[in-house]
Amino acid sequence: MLRKRNTRRSEGMQILRQTNMEALEKARTLGSDEVLTLLEKKGLEGRGGAAYPTAKKWRNSRDTPADERFIVCNADEGEPGTFKDKLIIRHNAETMIEGMLIAAYVVGAKKCFIYLRGEYEYLRPRLQEQVDSVLAKAKMDGVEIEIVRGAGAYVCGEATALLQSIQGFRGTSMYKPPNPTTCGLWGKPTVINNVETLTCVAQAVLFDDWNPSLRLLSLSGNIKNPGVYEFPLGVKMSTVIDVARPEKKLKAMSFGCFGGIMPVDENMAITPEAICMEQCQHGAYSIIFMDETVNVVDISYSIAKFYTYESCGKCTPCREGTIRILNLLKKIRNGKGVKKDLQTLQELATHIQETALCGLGQSCGNHVLTSIKHFPQDYDYYLKKGAKT
Amino acid sequence: MKIKLNGKEIEADSAKSLLDTCRENGINVPTLCYHASLFPEARCRVCLVEMNGKLVTSCSTKPREGASIITNNEHVMKARRLNMELMVPEPACRKEDDLEVCGIYEEVGMRSARFANIKEYKPDLGAAVIRDNNKCINCGRCVKVCADIQGVYAIDFASRAHNEHVTPYFEKNLADVACIRCGQCILNCPVGAISERSHIDEVIAALDDPEKHVVAQVAPSIRAALGELFGMPAGTLVTGKTVAALRRCGFDKVFDVDLGADMTIMEEASELLHRLGNGGKMPMITTCCPGWILMMEFFYHDLIGNMSTCRSPHEMLGMLIKTYYAKKAGIDPKKIVVVSIMPCTAKKFESTREELETGVDYVLTTRELGRLAKMKKVDFASLPDEEFDPALGIATGAGVIFGATGGVMEAALRTAHFLATGKELEKLEITEIRGMKGIKEGKIVLNGKEVRFACAHGGANARQLMEQKDKYHFIEIMACPGGCVGGGGQPIYRDPDTLRKRTEAIYGADRTSKLRRSHENPIVLQIYKEMLGAPLSEEAERLLHTHYVKKDRF
Amino acid sequence: MMARAKKESKILMNILHEAQEKHGYLSEHMLKQISIDHDIPIARLYGVVKFYTMFHTEPQGKYVIEICGSPSCVLADGTALEKFLESELQVKIGGTTQDQMFSLYKTSCIGCCDEAPALLLNGEAHTKLTVERLRALLNRLKEAHAEKKKHQKK
Repeated sequence: MLRKRNTRRSEGMQILRQTNMEALEKARTLGSDEVLTLLEKKGLEGRGGAAYPTAKKWRNSRDTPADERFIVCNADEGEPGTFKDKLIIRHNAETMIEGMLIAAYVVGAKKCFIYLRGEYEYLRPRLQEQVDSVLAKAKMDGVEIEIVRGAGAYVCGEATALLQSIQGFRGTSMYKPPNPTTCGLWGKPTVINNVETLTCVAQAVLFDDWNPSLRLLSLSGNIKNPGVYEFPLGVKMSTVIDVARPEKKLKAMSFGCFGGIMPVDENMAITPEAICMEQCQHGAYSIIFMDETVNVVDISYSIAKFYTYESCGKCTPCREGTIRILNLLKKIRNGKGVKKDLQTLQELATHIQETALCGLGQSCGNHVLTSIKHFPQDYDYYLKKGAKT
Repeated sequence: MKIKLNGKEIEADSAKSLLDTCRENGINVPTLCYHASLFPEARCRVCLVEMNGKLVTSCSTKPREGASIITNNEHVMKARRLNMELMVPEPACRKEDDLEVCGIYEEVGMRSARFANIKEYKPDLGAAVIRDNNKCINCGRCVKVCADIQGVYAIDFASRAHNEHVTPYFEKNLADVACIRCGQCILNCPVGAISERSHIDEVIAALDDPEKHVVAQVAPSIRAALGELFGMPAGTLVTGKTVAALRRCGFDKVFDVDLGADMTIMEEASELLHRLGNGGKMPMITTCCPGWILMMEFFYHDLIGNMSTCRSPHEMLGMLIKTYYAKKAGIDPKKIVVVSIMPCTAKKFESTREELETGVDYVLTTRELGRLAKMKKVDFASLPDEEFDPALGIATGAGVIFGATGGVMEAALRTAHFLATGKELEKLEITEIRGMKGIKEGKIVLNGKEVRFACAHGGANARQLMEQKDKYHFIEIMACPGGCVGGGGQPIYRDPDTLRKRTEAIYGADRTSKLRRSHENPIVLQIYKEMLGAPLSEEAERLLHTHYVKKDRF
Repeated sequence: MMARAKKESKILMNILHEAQEKHGYLSEHMLKQISIDHDIPIARLYGVVKFYTMFHTEPQGKYVIEICGSPSCVLADGTALEKFLESELQVKIGGTTQDQMFSLYKTSCIGCCDEAPALLLNGEAHTKLTVERLRALLNRLKEAHAEKKKHQKK
């Protein structure tokens, strides 16, 4: 049910445009090669955080010799601060499902899965109805879509861990290569696409005026107007802040838990390059705002705790490093930290970045490195606190 | 493809991992979770090398065209070191334990341990195999060996993040689940978090008790491996020194389990011929391996009728020690303590089976004997060669080859042929069932009838063979890869060639034996004459045979 | 049974969810049955179950509360709600109340960051919470339960 506030904002949102089976029909008329060319021309990139060219992924899977291929919709949205896929599942699921069927058609897959996170269980009954309805209308011989129910593991949003979970194993990450695209579920080529990406597929195929530069920003934190906003890449920070309406002066912003914490610069244009300049990663553009009343170390602590819950436990640096980072931050917040602890934190964070097996581990140190770099005064507050007593 | 390895340009196979490529070029890279027979998991992150400046795990990464690989700069060394620091917070490295992880410590140049151990697990005690998760480094080798090589899957990882730990289902102890006690997990644990339940203290108490007559009986595989614990190369046959060492430890008598093996052959070959001649249940499956017995009792209830009712060699000899030998020596059997020296951890469980009144009081593994000898300050290398005590000390080559996979089968056929046809088998060395192939097969003609036989070693191979069991008349199963020379109680080895070398020592011992057929063993013949009558007699059934039970695999 | 890459006909995640829905948790007996029915070693089943926070191997309270502890909810003073729940229900995070009414867990982000602080109650999201609203919610649940008990007694 749309609340009034959302209705105002979501009017005119491109992501909520419905394709009503016409995109699939058009795709089947164009043929596999033409659809791939179209998506390449329109420059569609993955919206799950990695921004990989969608057509390239599909082409790799389609052209790998195999007797079976799979499509997986990654609806395991779990990055803290992210809720854009929830919006799509609630208000435009049929377009997303249609995008899946287009993928199945182009790639040559019959069996499709939607991996829906356990925390969105209350969305599942309606989603199942919509899957049944779209399939009935699509009349694609032998194509099935099964919803796989997640059970509370953030790491299962990572492609290889997701496949492990579907195959009935612990959701641990696997090294690449082999890449899921060429060797995924049960060894067969598997395309894994984000909810937003698949929705964009249908829209990009059908609408000539589809704008590839629009992104969904999930905004939350110390602001009066949290929610999902659609902005073009390159939008100025000040514009975003205007709609977000912070109560107090904003101090810092974190890109989910994984992307890093940087100062809020009103003049910055939100582009991958600008974010990269601050040693951060944009991911799925989830921004958690912190105002001047917040000590960034407290948020870093909360992020560190997140990683000690969610690490899959397989590789040494992430399994052991995350708990060590948490313990050090605990020590610092308790006033028992010393300057050397900051060095150890940075050493651990960099080490996990460089030697962890998967993206979770490789990014779990970002918040440490960026918060120490950009907000040393917040750490000093706690270090001095301890020195006083 | 051409790549640069530590600055030198070399030709690399694009299908080989960086680890293999480095090793083939004489460059060592430390590894921990890597296992030569298993698919690499890249868990431990110790085998790091730099490829084009980026750290990668060499076990799971293949070279890229034109890549520059560095294995020895500060970046790489520091990274390996930090992963070791994180993995093993408190190294407890005593030279005598010879743990694999301690060698890696030295290789990566560990200096400090900055992080305290935060693990707090209750140790899993009580079974033949005991575990201490507080020492575990989550390398996963035990899990994969149990699942993929042994086909048992008694343990797996549970929970996640820093709470990830290895456990049987529902945190039960190994004693309470379908674990076959094969001890392969012990052989593969680099930190000694898994070990055998020790009975050294009980044995020392018996040795120190003046009332007790303590008898040691030595399995075939011990003589091919015990030397490794004292610095000798793998495959050195140390039969004489083993006997001497046991005497120095205080054992009153030292007997040869190979004699028990000869007894087993007499009974088992007779049993096979009886079944073949009377339409008995086929195939007949050997039962000297308690790991296999457990596997059958847990997972293959319908095979109980196929199993040979013969006890294993040390169980047979144990009974004979307390009856035949006790009478001959005029010793009260209640005062005799029988200690089996075994390559096997499952035998610790076997000697406590309720289904048989066992002649064996304690089982010590090869490793435990090594520890006992060191405790008693025995200078193994300089011991003279001594003979087994004569009362039960003569054995044939057929007895000694029990230690190798295919050995029981070969020994049984040597005697079965004679018992059936009255003529000796011409080709004494049945080579088609020797060697490391997982499943081996052959056939023999006995009195005009073709008898097909097969052997498997390693649990997963055993499972595979069971799928096709009805093709055969006679099957030998050894739960441990390589047979008993690779048993869970043997010295832990790192050189993958070790099993082959131990096996060669075993077959060498057979070749140089005066007697090579069980039915030629004079003591065996004497025991039948004086006490048992004939194989499968009532008395033989009472002392030398047993039965099996269905066990719940949960 | 051992082939890792073998395709199984039913998705284990869904099998486990359906089994858990019967009694609110996955008992040893249920896992044994699943092990037999689907030819999956029980050690592996247990390892899978324990990997995921939403699968439980012990009986749960009538109401399972999972309160979010991720940054957006922390910024919305979610920690105060945690403390309130612990004291109001007299149970620590991770435990079940003595009367078997409530199980309390701390969870990672549940995707309600724009309506923080939030929690899941038996899988349903409750958002924009304050101590007052939470207290009222708990009271409603306790009342409804007492009513039901009264009716059952009759």
